[in-house]
Amino acid sequence: MLAKLDQVTKRYIKNEGVRDLTLCFPPGEVVGVLGLNGSGKSTMLKLIAGLLFPTDGRVVVFDGPPRRNRAKIVYLGETDALWPWMTPKDADRFMSGLYPDFDSGRFGELLDALEVPRRKTKTMSKGERGRLRLAMALSRDAKLYLLDEPLAGIDLISREKILSSIVREWHTDETILLSTHEVAEAEGLFERTIFLRDGRLALDAQTEDLRLQGKSVVETFKEVLA
Amino acid sequence: MTDENGWSLEMDAGPIYVQIGERVREQLARGDLKPGEKLPSARDLASRLSVNPNTVVHAFERLEADGVIETKRGLGTFVREDAPVEAMRDESLRASALRYANDVRRLGVAQEEALRALKEVWDAGKA
Repeated sequence: MLAKLDQVTKRYIKNEGVRDLTLCFPPGEVVGVLGLNGSGKSTMLKLIAGLLFPTDGRVVVFDGPPRRNRAKIVYLGETDALWPWMTPKDADRFMSGLYPDFDSGRFGELLDALEVPRRKTKTMSKGERGRLRLAMALSRDAKLYLLDEPLAGIDLISREKILSSIVREWHTDETILLSTHEVAEAEGLFERTIFLRDGRLALDAQTEDLRLQGKSVVETFKEVLA
Repeated sequence: MTDENGWSLEMDAGPIYVQIGERVREQLARGDLKPGEKLPSARDLASRLSVNPNTVVHAFERLEADGVIETKRGLGTFVREDAPVEAMRDESLRASALRYANDVRRLGVAQEEALRALKEVWDAGKA
């Protein structure tokens, strides 16, 4: 197992992020993490990334607590924290210094594939910055990729480019957890889909099984989460 | 999820691997794809359609088991020279005929009238 949550609850001061989540992620799965706003998607991904600590229960990644394995986990958060003066070249230096598994060659290829302009991020559009951030994340060579809303607030063309780069870069022994509201566009990627509601697991299904029952993920989403 | 080369998929129309198989058979039936021709690699097709590469691999495995395509090691995936193209054309024709029959049956139209209408439209289209 690549990652495991065992009866995990994360309580914030006022509310609960996730409640009693038990999930296993074997190597080689592309998993969609779906739910309405506040359903616990980001909390779940941050718990697996080791950026949050569970109030109850246990998170295990590669046989240990996530914090100890942070170097082997790629986490792409929701917030765009790129420095305004940063160019893709600066990003390359920054990531190379931070992560030994960062592949500059691959980064260059991804910048081309995603058509990221070579200029300061403050002059980039939101879509261009989103594409740059994805290129930075996918240029690391890890076994676990946690991508929180990589398509949010980004134009249609950028979203398509991002999805097709994810398909192209994914190795069959790597696991990707991807949260998104763009269900219709992304659902083809998911072999497995997890639906969260109010911090709890509402449904965990093989996506093609849903389709076998004549339902798209979008329809299931409405059924399960409405 | 649509593609100019006849690969369009519907997320609510059954498993994707089945649909990819159907698209290959349709392309063969229409002659857009011919025996001996090479198929795109699973990863290229997956990337074009934004679907999981494993899903395409699954579709190709089924087509291979059905004797439609074959994988040549190191070269790629090809339509078999002896792929049953005629059978696929027939299958495709019957599927279209069934759709038409079901549609006009719902209109409460008699068979002769339905056939006459088909012939008229057919002839008009030819001109």
